[in-house]
Amino acid sequence: MLRFLFRRSLGAIVILLLISAFTFFLFFAAPKDPALLSCGKNCTPDAIALIHKNLGLDKPIPVQYWDFMSGIVTGRDFAQGPCPAPCFGYSFANGDPVWDTIIDRFPTTISLTIGGAAVFLTVGLGTGMIAAWKQGKLVDKVFSSASLVLSSMQIYFIGPIVLALLVYNLEILGQPKYVNFTDNPAAWFMGLLIPWCVLSVIFTAQYTRMARSSMIEQLAEEHVRTARAKGMTRGTVFFRYAWRGSLIPIVTIFGIDLGSLFGGAMITEQTFALPGLGTLAVKSVRDTDLPMVMGVMLFAAAFIVLFNIIVDACYAFIDPRVRLS
Amino acid sequence: MSSNRTRRTHATLVALAAGALVLTACSSGAGTNTEGGNDRSGAEAQRSQIAFGDAAASKGAAEEVPGARKGGTIKVYQRDTYSHLDPAQIYVSDEGALATLLFRKLTTYHMDNKGKYTVVGDLATDSGQSSDGGKTWKYTLKDNVKWEDGSPITAKDIRHSIERTFAPFITDGPYYLQQWLADTNSTDYRKLLKDGPYKGKHLPDSVLETPDDKTIVFHFKSPHPDLPYALAMAGYAAVQEKKDTKEKYDKAPQSSGPYKIKPGSFKSGKGMTLVRNTEWDPKTDNSRHQYVDKFDIQFGVSYPDSTQRLIADNSDNQTAVSFNNQVDAASMQTVSNDPKVKKRSTSGYQPYVGVINFNMKRIKDKKVREALAYAMPTQAVLDAYGTPGGGELAGSYISPTVTGYKDIDPYGKLKKPLGDVAKAKKILKDAGKTGMKITFAYMNAPEPQKYSVSIVDNLKKAGFDVQPKDLPSDTYYDVIGKVDNKFDIYASAWGADWPSASTVLPPTMDGRQVQDGSPNYSHYDNPEVSKEMDRIAKMSDQEKASEEWFKLNEKILKEDLPAIPTFYYKQIQLHGSKVGGVVNNDIISGVDPTKLFLKK
Repeated sequence: MLRFLFRRSLGAIVILLLISAFTFFLFFAAPKDPALLSCGKNCTPDAIALIHKNLGLDKPIPVQYWDFMSGIVTGRDFAQGPCPAPCFGYSFANGDPVWDTIIDRFPTTISLTIGGAAVFLTVGLGTGMIAAWKQGKLVDKVFSSASLVLSSMQIYFIGPIVLALLVYNLEILGQPKYVNFTDNPAAWFMGLLIPWCVLSVIFTAQYTRMARSSMIEQLAEEHVRTARAKGMTRGTVFFRYAWRGSLIPIVTIFGIDLGSLFGGAMITEQTFALPGLGTLAVKSVRDTDLPMVMGVMLFAAAFIVLFNIIVDACYAFIDPRVRLS
Repeated sequence: MSSNRTRRTHATLVALAAGALVLTACSSGAGTNTEGGNDRSGAEAQRSQIAFGDAAASKGAAEEVPGARKGGTIKVYQRDTYSHLDPAQIYVSDEGALATLLFRKLTTYHMDNKGKYTVVGDLATDSGQSSDGGKTWKYTLKDNVKWEDGSPITAKDIRHSIERTFAPFITDGPYYLQQWLADTNSTDYRKLLKDGPYKGKHLPDSVLETPDDKTIVFHFKSPHPDLPYALAMAGYAAVQEKKDTKEKYDKAPQSSGPYKIKPGSFKSGKGMTLVRNTEWDPKTDNSRHQYVDKFDIQFGVSYPDSTQRLIADNSDNQTAVSFNNQVDAASMQTVSNDPKVKKRSTSGYQPYVGVINFNMKRIKDKKVREALAYAMPTQAVLDAYGTPGGGELAGSYISPTVTGYKDIDPYGKLKKPLGDVAKAKKILKDAGKTGMKITFAYMNAPEPQKYSVSIVDNLKKAGFDVQPKDLPSDTYYDVIGKVDNKFDIYASAWGADWPSASTVLPPTMDGRQVQDGSPNYSHYDNPEVSKEMDRIAKMSDQEKASEEWFKLNEKILKEDLPAIPTFYYKQIQLHGSKVGGVVNNDIISGVDPTKLFLKK
């Protein structure tokens, strides 16, 4: 296991370095000059040159990249003050320290992501299993049809509808908002309930279909047939043998889906005005805010890579046939 | 000022579509208007010269807002995080609205309960005493004006506030005053004090004099009768010398106004809280109030989102308002048609005027420009930004909010806003240019996409061979700002920085400003016009100068036609049913935060 973790960690570092280089150099291929962010009214060449100097954009691009990457490890000094490691610099747009901003926004996104995942894993797997259990029956047909419809429901479409219906007209729920879990767990839950449900709709539909087909496939496996032939009850066979085996492809997909979930979180945050990493990423890209773009990109990439390692490690526990080596 | 929100923002800018962000000062304006809707009477009433108030007009306290009471917390929905809190970096109107609560300046705009504006002394006892035909201006500080830590605001602080605007890290704010002090029209004004006041150097007394703790004297080489207007900009608000932390001041400014930032409350992208500044003395301030206990500001609330919340007017939304968010274009009909919602709307002009620029480097035949002007469907442009309420058809380059405004319509755009295609066709034929190729650049954004269809259609009918070309919104203004751009016609917008055409025509129509990045997007260069601008700029009689600016405006439009005006920008804002004192302030292009209170 240790060798596995060590090898995957090294791979993760290489991936992150590649992502950082790709993002950084791609940024400079963009047609928009970040100096325009703070150029005021008349952006004369003199004014732009001064801002380039203030932002360090007057240096060669490879030097800027080295300064940025080394700053993550060693920290840097800026006009705004010292920036201890991990230093991602200060926002071009508003001078905020990038790392502090990311840390400040992360709880919103992780709450949204984990909550959304919990909803679609619970509901999606649950309905998928029930559909498989009741294969060919009315319940199966209803769940299968609903999953087809819901899998085409985009967040930006259903979000405003849910808001208009549940919040503004029926007033059943309050305005979605993020409250720190430690400050008020109940307000945290209620504030994110709508975003969780909206974020998870498409995933729920997809996981319903995936769980159903995976389960039906497992039920046709020889070891399952053998278990039945040995006289085990249907429930025991279903949950002890088929269910466990059906999870393997789902766990694999779940690791990949985390990236999509983060993308979904971006749209969800925008839809419900939640101040997370998604809204931060969108604004940073729009503002050509290089330090913030780099910070968010690397942080999100690191998070996804880490989660994938964890998911891979989980294989061994789910299916003993899988060997990490 | 550049079109909208930041220039940074060019892109955003035209999002202007949706909202004016640049802090501008318009002149007169629609002033008040709480009970929904607005007509032009407010602006018309304000078109007389905005007076420069004397000591009596500048004396506090401010007149009470009818029905006002103290207490409570108002929730404020804002789309954008404030990029800057350092007043010297403030130029855009959303930060300008916030600045009215936090910062005081030597002068400010006073809006009375009837919506009439006067430039009055804010920290100063009056709007300024000029001599030498406007070359020397003297200001005396009021007694008992303090910083949030209780220490007095002195002339030394004012000197420091002005000197720091020369520092290299101040790049986003206005620089009229710096240029006037350095007697230059370019960004080389920084040479006068290249490090600001931070390395022991100061502006010489021959430029800026502070003989005692109360007196500030400006010495210019040329007359600058607009100084009281310029000093009323948020960018020239006072900064406390002993608390100045240079770049870091942008995150923790010291308040001199009725509210201060609750320490640690500002979170970019999330929100901030303003609480009462107990050191602010209402008797020294004739323009601001301190009715509510707190303002709880939330960032990241889009226009459609804030519109839906405020239309719903449920729970917390009843005590909510937005300083700058407008009704989104898609909801304007809803607001207009529902009397209950309309009653909670406020509207007014913005200082921006939309135009279709004609690239004078490429279209040199005035007859062709005339044909383009007549064919242009200005109604389609306006409709794209939302009607009713998104604006008003324009006949002039200068907004109705500017002092001395006169309606003109030399090309009949108000009478035939859909375009006079027949007339355009005839002019083009007479000029022997039928079938002329015209490259029309437009921004790849929802509104330009909408109106571009109508423009292309009309121009084709008029006999042009139109080549539409969409440009990315992020770089649109950079591209059309290039002198050698390859386009013939394109849209832009511009707003006045204060209620004088001196902040409209020189930036957009002075041929000496033709360079990459300049807002003279038509690349219009008429030396005679530039000379006339110099003459008018030196006039000390504001009323006469105003007349002359509008004569020049009409002359440019009639004789040279470098652009055809499309519409004057307006905005509609909503507020919760329990919020009182909601009036539109044209100077800050939105709701005036200083008059707000909570009803019982």
